Amino acid sequence: MAVLNQHFRRYDFEGDLEKALNRVDFFRIFHTMALRYGFEHFGVLQLANEHETSTLAARLVLHDLPAGLAETYDKRHRLNDSALFRSFYKSTISTVWQASDHDGHNGSSAEGADFIDQIGFDMALSIPVHSVAGTRYIVLFLGDGDDIGRTEHFEICYEANCAFDYFHRQVLANKAGMGLTPRETEILRWISYGKTASEIALIVSVSEHTVNSHTATILKKLDVVNRTQMVAKAIREQIIQ
Amino acid sequence: MPAQVHILLVDDDPAENLIIGALMRKVTSYAITLHYVETVEDALGFIRSSGAALDMVLMDNRLQPQADFRETVPELRRNGYIGPVGVISSSISDAYFQKIDDYGVDFRIDKAELDPTAVEFILQEYVKRDVSAGQ
Repeated sequence: MAVLNQHFRRYDFEGDLEKALNRVDFFRIFHTMALRYGFEHFGVLQLANEHETSTLAARLVLHDLPAGLAETYDKRHRLNDSALFRSFYKSTISTVWQASDHDGHNGSSAEGADFIDQIGFDMALSIPVHSVAGTRYIVLFLGDGDDIGRTEHFEICYEANCAFDYFHRQVLANKAGMGLTPRETEILRWISYGKTASEIALIVSVSEHTVNSHTATILKKLDVVNRTQMVAKAIREQIIQ
Repeated sequence: MPAQVHILLVDDDPAENLIIGALMRKVTSYAITLHYVETVEDALGFIRSSGAALDMVLMDNRLQPQADFRETVPELRRNGYIGPVGVISSSISDAYFQKIDDYGVDFRIDKAELDPTAVEFILQEYVKRDVSAGQ
């Protein structure tokens, strides 16, 4: 999706980002980024209004946390009450949280260690990011390291911003008004003939998962909420006959 | 009890079966049974005989006598397999890997990146069985 010119400086990670197609590719990019900087896990969280109740599981749009960890956290703790969560609404500066914050020697007393304690890591790094439309997200890294150096911190912030930008444009963005690809138009036509996802998968030689994924994209692009409205709008707009 | 998942590995190198089998045993949130065949033809035979039990196919990019996924995966699709297919390769940077969707491939992953965390993520994305329910 080469839409950015050379002024958007992406250094040597441009190649991977330009080639990323789907959630698995962005999982690979964020996961290897976490490991490269000494963390074990990452999570991309979508932020809502500060006072709206947020569960960790519902806020995570992409992550590599062990299965069930976010749900277990939510059963025992309230994300809204954590100092980490509150920091997202105080400033957009990246924050670092360490188990040693307990000691209070950095002036922040015990505040801040609550989230990492509760979720079971020694260190967290949060990087506030946003889409071109202004919606806010956090790229969170978790691990058992002691600290992160200045250079590495600057680098991971820049890299996470670039990766998030691609992830948002490629996967998360509301694509209303964008044109359908030939494959999407083909699937839309079969939907209009009353075919199910598994039947369409057989006809166009892809997996049922891919058909469902294309269908979700068509819903977004046509700005409709179900398959009936999708077909009605597609006929009205003469995308299909 | 973790959810039961059946994965078919198609790779002409039996050593990969050992390596990936060991990797799958490290995944704790799913009880993975890794089935193994060496060719696309054997994969088709396995799919026909196992019916709905198979949750995912992981396929080495290069399999004899076919050239790469552009020939192997359409063969699976032509024979009616509509479950998820992932292609494993030691290099996914070649330009033709940008066209996985055209050939019926769901995802691609570099051999070096295939770790237990990646396997869990992929199963969560493509199999989506409730891991706590053990279904």
